[in-house]
Amino acid sequence: MELEALSTLADQFAAAGATLVLISPQLPEHNAAIAKDKGLSVDILSDPGNVTAARYGLKYQMPDDLITIYQQFGLDVAKHNGDDSWTLPMPAALIIDGDGIVRHTNINADYTNRPEPEDTLAALKEIR
Amino acid sequence: MTLKEKIDAYKEGFKEKAPKAAQEIMHRATEDLQNSPQMLNTIKVGDIAPDFNLKNTGNTDVALSDLLDRGPVVLNFYRGRW
Repeated sequence: MELEALSTLADQFAAAGATLVLISPQLPEHNAAIAKDKGLSVDILSDPGNVTAARYGLKYQMPDDLITIYQQFGLDVAKHNGDDSWTLPMPAALIIDGDGIVRHTNINADYTNRPEPEDTLAALKEIR
Repeated sequence: MTLKEKIDAYKEGFKEKAPKAAQEIMHRATEDLQNSPQMLNTIKVGDIAPDFNLKNTGNTDVALSDLLDRGPVVLNFYRGRW
């Protein structure tokens, strides 16, 4: 849902002068499959083991009881991501200006609370 | 329909069909993260964005520093299909 919502606005992010990219711990082939399946016009970068997410303070270590639930649901995060850390990035939208300075953040500990692409776009236009 | 409205509709369905015990563990995990001191260490406005060099879906390396040469960058962290 989030990917489609972002992809729908890809042209508007480009029109506002920004490059929109997604970062996901999934293996590149899974990101490619999703991009193809959903016809996305946004690039997805693969962040194995959430190393980059950690540098942004966004890496979340899933607790053991939660891992067990995911395994019961057949959600094998470790296999899918190609690393056995059972870590995920918190949902986050960041705007970085051309000088590499963070100008906007929308970070949520609750993974069901995703940054609204329209809000990110509005923030981008304010900064520009 | 906003993204939030779509997600809320999905959550309603999940609440009905998923086992209660599992939902409790999932809720507690989210609450624990919300209350965790690690939330104080997330990237902030004014910080220098750490550079990265990651593979895109075509297995090509993409560096933040290269993207920034073209102007601002909107980064969206996506946990995956879960």
